[in-house]
Amino acid sequence: MSLISIFLIFFFYVSALIFISGLSYKLIQYRRTPAPLKIPIAPSALDKKGVLLRYFREIFLFASLFKANKWTWLFGWSFHLALVLLFFRHLVYFWPGEVPLILYKTESLKYAAYPLIFGLLGLLARRVFVDRIRYISAPSDYLMLLVFIFIALTGMMMTFANYHPNILMVKNFASGLITFKWSELPGEIIFVFHILPVFCIIAIFPLSKLLHAPGVFFAPTFNQVDNARKKRHLSDWASKKEDNLEINLESKNLKDK
Amino acid sequence: MAEILGAEVDEEGYLLKVSDWTADIAQAMSEEDGIELSPEHWEVINFLQEYYEEYEFAPAVRVLTKAIAKKLGNDKGNSRYLYSLFPYGPAKQGCRFAGLPKPTGCV
Amino acid sequence: MSTDNQIKLPTYVETPSIRKDSMAGDGPFKASVEIQNKLGFPGEKVENWQQVAINKMAETKSKYKSVQVFLDSCMKCGACTDKCHYFLGTADPKNMPVARQDLFRSVYRRHFTFAGKYFPRLVGAKDFDEDMLNDWYNYFHQCSQCRRCAVFCPSGIDTAEISMAAREVMNVIGVGQKYTNQILGKVKKIGNNLGMPEPALKDTLMDLEEEIKEDTGVDVKLPIDIKNSEILMVSPSADFFAEPHIDGLIGYAKVFHESGVSWTLSSYASEAANFGMFIGNYDVMREGALRIRKAALDLNVKRVIIGECGHAWRVAYSFWNTLSGIGTGAEDEYAMRLQNQLDSQYPQPQHMIEFTYDLIKNNKLTFEKSNNDHRVVTFHDSCNVARGSNMGDIENGQFILPREVIKAACNNFIDMPKNTIKSSTFCCGGGAGLLTDDLIDLRIKGAKPRMHALRKSEQESGVNTLAAICAICKSQFSKVLPNYDFDPYMVVSVHQLVSDAIVLSESLKQKD
Repeated sequence: MSLISIFLIFFFYVSALIFISGLSYKLIQYRRTPAPLKIPIAPSALDKKGVLLRYFREIFLFASLFKANKWTWLFGWSFHLALVLLFFRHLVYFWPGEVPLILYKTESLKYAAYPLIFGLLGLLARRVFVDRIRYISAPSDYLMLLVFIFIALTGMMMTFANYHPNILMVKNFASGLITFKWSELPGEIIFVFHILPVFCIIAIFPLSKLLHAPGVFFAPTFNQVDNARKKRHLSDWASKKEDNLEINLESKNLKDK
Repeated sequence: MAEILGAEVDEEGYLLKVSDWTADIAQAMSEEDGIELSPEHWEVINFLQEYYEEYEFAPAVRVLTKAIAKKLGNDKGNSRYLYSLFPYGPAKQGCRFAGLPKPTGCV
Repeated sequence: MSTDNQIKLPTYVETPSIRKDSMAGDGPFKASVEIQNKLGFPGEKVENWQQVAINKMAETKSKYKSVQVFLDSCMKCGACTDKCHYFLGTADPKNMPVARQDLFRSVYRRHFTFAGKYFPRLVGAKDFDEDMLNDWYNYFHQCSQCRRCAVFCPSGIDTAEISMAAREVMNVIGVGQKYTNQILGKVKKIGNNLGMPEPALKDTLMDLEEEIKEDTGVDVKLPIDIKNSEILMVSPSADFFAEPHIDGLIGYAKVFHESGVSWTLSSYASEAANFGMFIGNYDVMREGALRIRKAALDLNVKRVIIGECGHAWRVAYSFWNTLSGIGTGAEDEYAMRLQNQLDSQYPQPQHMIEFTYDLIKNNKLTFEKSNNDHRVVTFHDSCNVARGSNMGDIENGQFILPREVIKAACNNFIDMPKNTIKSSTFCCGGGAGLLTDDLIDLRIKGAKPRMHALRKSEQESGVNTLAAICAICKSQFSKVLPNYDFDPYMVVSVHQLVSDAIVLSESLKQKD
């Protein structure tokens, strides 16, 4: 096996390890950290069904972002939706052994690359040209977008331009990563340029702002039911303050009515 | 610490000790604020001090306006009139001239 | 209504281009040693303040899920950048909610994250140095914790949580704000923000009873410290002292009088507002809430009702059940001791607006609405009520109920532009410890979006009265309205409108 194949295989497992351990750590941390006070944000949900509905609107429609800014919504939403569609489109490569029929029908999802690049370029343009957003952007914020754009462009070149890699080798390599039956990379260098940054994104996921994906589910502003008056909400550390049940009563001249 | 005529004041110009107050201090403070103290101003300042002496607190604006109405006539017993005397507010500016602590809170 | 020679304003405040450092400075007056010590904070900046601050940050993020999650999950999308009234009014980029959070986040990244430890420049991680601390103090006191930005954040990040955490960290290293902490000391000692002692309070209430008697001929009482009353009324102490607040208090008294339900104020718990929230300190906030608990137990009341006070209502509605057990549905001994005493047929605690609304719905109140005909009223949704509470336990009740109460008492009601009310309401500009004279420049600028909306309603609909249900809003507007060429006397309590129109049944009998 070529050195570059060995390197990429190795790099994938390192990335996957960082991803799984880092994300697990973060999820456990978020779960374990108490939310001592009820802080739902309007429009608050008055019951659990309302919370689910709220998440539906936030996750699938980006409802808050829509209220905030239509351009950012358009770019952000098309980028994320395209990302999901393209994830399904790529399953066919990673699927080990017999591939379910449905995955062969994902062919047309490749066109999601256009909204993907449209969204990414829009987000980048906002970051560069809107003074407010330029002000809040760190180098990593640009870098992240550029890496995604690079991934998208190399993917599009392999799909829509005349840079098709050996599809069988792609499939063997990708599914081999899952089944530990490693095989050689396809010869086309562009394929390396496509997957190397993907592995990087996987690795930095739990170390970066990409944590917004799990984070949104842990935001007390979103996930709490607005029922503070009806049900007592008490965290462990706060309840310890109540070990002394007595209240020191000052002597006070109170009149009976 | 800042001073006015030898008496210590806080960052906002209020006397640290009520007992330091003199009429000259009130005069000096009002000059700084560009206000010439009229007999009406003095009515307010005197009432603030009397009330404070009894309650260790400045009177509510409503209590003040009523007291002024009794002294200067009903047409002057309203907060618009008091604000015309003390543009920064009868409670805040008035208390400062009278040497009383600043009323705090959501006021 | 519109005529050709009127100036047409856009329906929204235009977003300014950023002007770096336009609000740079040293922030509001700092608390003295004495003030700090009263609250158990160090009097002066401690020697190893960086380390103490980092430790406190670690503790805070381990105790508050909000802080930990929000520090991680900002993707810098910029959705919040044009949502803060202080940014819109000042153009200082550090007043953009994300940039304000980033003051805290950059230190978090530097000290608590892999990327920030090893690649600080890449991810914008920064050390906690003197300049940073100065920015913290300055800009976390340019945040009114109004939570408008959180309504628009796709990750649900609430800048108020970060702002509270930052103030807590600063207090722990001995850097506190004079205005807020001085007031907290007064509550601790005397029981209210004003520091108004019991005799002055009682005298004022007697004065008001006389006034109502003169005006209406009816003996409307303002009872205080009456044991075994049905209701304990806790209102912001500004209601006892300031204009136009005091007319709202008269309104509560008239409504209680007409309802026939016995009620009392408490000289021990004479403050509804809880500034403990502003500094993010659980213990200080809890101590404030415990005063109300104690008063409720002492006075053996069945219900607790809150007056017109925005932050008070958020703390009462959302936090009291947690902090002090004033609520319903508890299963633990501590809270049940109180909850068994309270009448579970009613929400606990309840807002005065809810109480009045219920009476209106049940036709228990009569209004002479024409008494308010000289007014064209609009309603300012106070930020903490709008985004951190509910009323009536129905969806959007916190927007519906106050408007219904106003409409019951007034013939002319007009809402301000849609994107400036309800959950999108703009803060008055004086919330969360900023209602102090040393921040007057910020307060005037921060009021701009609200003033802009008000001007539009004035020009289009002839609005001449601005009703509010928050002591801070009322004081802030009274102060800044003249800066925008409005009459400061256009601000009223919602219960002043009620007071002016309510028909006291006894006065009818007297006429007969």
